[in-house]
Amino acid sequence: MLGQVIMGGIAVGSAYALIALAMVIIYKTSEVLNFAQGDMAMLSTYFAFMLLSTYGLPFWLSLPVALVFSFAVGICCEFFFLRRAKNPTVLGLIIMTLSLEMILFGLASWKWGSEQKDLPFPITSYDTFSFGGFLVSKLEALTFITALVMMFMLFLFFRFSKAGIAVKATQLNRNAARLMGIRTNRILLGTWGLASVVGTVAALLIAPASTLDPYMMWDPMLKGFSAAVVGGMNSLPGAAVGGYLVGIVENVFGSYVSIEFKSVVAFALIVIILCVKPSGLLARHYIKKV
Amino acid sequence: MTIKSFLSAVSLSVILILLCSPVPGIAADTPGVTDTEIRIGQWAALTGPAAAWGAVARGADVYFKMINDEGGINGRKIKHLVYDHQYNPAKTVAGVKEMVEGPGIFALVAGDCTACALAVRDYLVEKNIIWSSLGNAWSIKPDKHFFFIYPNYADEGSILAKYAVEQMGKKKVAILYQNDDYGKGGLAGVERQLKKKNMQLVAAVPVEAQDRDLKSHAMKLKAAEPDAVVLWVNPTTAVIIRKTAAAMKLEPTWFAPSTLGDPELMDQITGGLWEGTIFSMMAELPDSDSPLMNKYREAFKKFGPAGERFSLFTMAGIGFAEPLVEALKRCGREVTTERVIQEFDKMTDFKGIFGHLTFRPEDRQGQKEVYMVESLKGGKAKRLTDWLKVD
Repeated sequence: MLGQVIMGGIAVGSAYALIALAMVIIYKTSEVLNFAQGDMAMLSTYFAFMLLSTYGLPFWLSLPVALVFSFAVGICCEFFFLRRAKNPTVLGLIIMTLSLEMILFGLASWKWGSEQKDLPFPITSYDTFSFGGFLVSKLEALTFITALVMMFMLFLFFRFSKAGIAVKATQLNRNAARLMGIRTNRILLGTWGLASVVGTVAALLIAPASTLDPYMMWDPMLKGFSAAVVGGMNSLPGAAVGGYLVGIVENVFGSYVSIEFKSVVAFALIVIILCVKPSGLLARHYIKKV
Repeated sequence: MTIKSFLSAVSLSVILILLCSPVPGIAADTPGVTDTEIRIGQWAALTGPAAAWGAVARGADVYFKMINDEGGINGRKIKHLVYDHQYNPAKTVAGVKEMVEGPGIFALVAGDCTACALAVRDYLVEKNIIWSSLGNAWSIKPDKHFFFIYPNYADEGSILAKYAVEQMGKKKVAILYQNDDYGKGGLAGVERQLKKKNMQLVAAVPVEAQDRDLKSHAMKLKAAEPDAVVLWVNPTTAVIIRKTAAAMKLEPTWFAPSTLGDPELMDQITGGLWEGTIFSMMAELPDSDSPLMNKYREAFKKFGPAGERFSLFTMAGIGFAEPLVEALKRCGREVTTERVIQEFDKMTDFKGIFGHLTFRPEDRQGQKEVYMVESLKGGKAKRLTDWLKVD
């Protein structure tokens, strides 16, 4: 049974890892804890639902269109919302993303209603296959593979592409980057768009296993945030490791210790990890830029 | 002072007192009641994890609009105020206070979420608010202001378990219950019935309303190898556990209370997995063609939100409002809290679209019967039994 529990943890951890990655991408460039990440993804998932159900587009076409839409959502959030703030404090930025979350939540409720919906998806969460004696759902396998592919692509982007290196330069010192000719405002726009796409991929994989409703990302978003903190808010590998760790720990805890406290164990994990390693598992100690 | 002037002063005083005292039927001292309107409040999960139950508020709203369209109640129109509490007790408290201390309401109707009801229970008593309630007398301490319409969860759980064991021959019953008073009510009823039969639950697994990953829960259920699993959860949780269980090849007979008794919705959002579920039902089925149901369906077309279907939860909203409107009608123009309570307490076997309702001062649990339904393919439903009462 333990093996099955760990498999389950890895599957759900893949989704947490994607959300954590999305949060870390934004935090690394703009030092904003984006609590609207979940609802940005939810809005784009509703858009995909609209393309599939209302307009009857095939999935292979709806998916890229929805991802382009999610990129635009990310850009709009940064340009029309965050950028308007004049020298905001950290607390001010957090409040702004929380407000943005509520606006997006209200927008989705107004446009699509709050009754639960079933997202048409080519793979159901209950089509399974046997792997090493364990039952694995095809959707979970797809989530796991997608997460790995996304992580690899992000690694390649940040390591080898010119744009990725510009993002890293912006993270290290925005003023110096600007002096070197990097358009840092565009970099910020791009990272918000990229994070929105990564979050939307997670939401598109979460919705078929549950329901599509405005509330759907509330719990995954909190778990993704926990994963990002556990792994280190400015470490992409840390976010991935944090996601899998939170998924496995909460499943093992729920199965063997207490099912009642399963949903809060992720937050207990934050406290424990931060006591031992304040910057998170894989992040370097935070040094204030001057 | 002469006798004449003394008599004049007394007469004037009597006239002034008579002029200043409330005229019967005007109900000037009753909050939420004026000459022309009666304000009725409702909290509802229009958004949040139990958003499917938001249709209850829209159903009640359509019913009140229909009553107003027919001329109101004895010359007064109903004003219906709805607060979206998102299935969150803290928001329920804020919303109810806003309605009571803001515009003022005479009564509350329906109101989902047992924990939310418990959060405002004492406040309603303090403020003298009548509550034609979705709650039940098992989990909410009764009071003279409360009229519980929905069958007691413990009784409903007991009837479900009895049907599972006696009629379907189930030997190993498990339950997944929401970890609050709503879920615990169902759990208590199922346990009570099994105890009578010298049986025990093979697994009782609690779940939090907001949980989206239920693999551990499904594994615990599967480890117990049940042949029947009762779900006492909200619609989203029901969908997730059914999908997760299907992935784990956990295939017992599933049982559910009437809170999950909208087969069309549940079939849609589970992708067809709801087929074969046995659920208890406290009202007529949504596709019933009784004259009363036809009348309500027509009203829904006229006053309901465009594009929304007439669901079980819409019906439920109407059903919770029916006895309140009946009590108000019986009051005539004299609408006071005490008078409405008296009229409620005289109600015997009142039949709207719910089961038979009887209220007495010593017993405010109005409905004590449900019947069994099987969910069929494509969201259809088949009635399996006549009304069943608790032992």
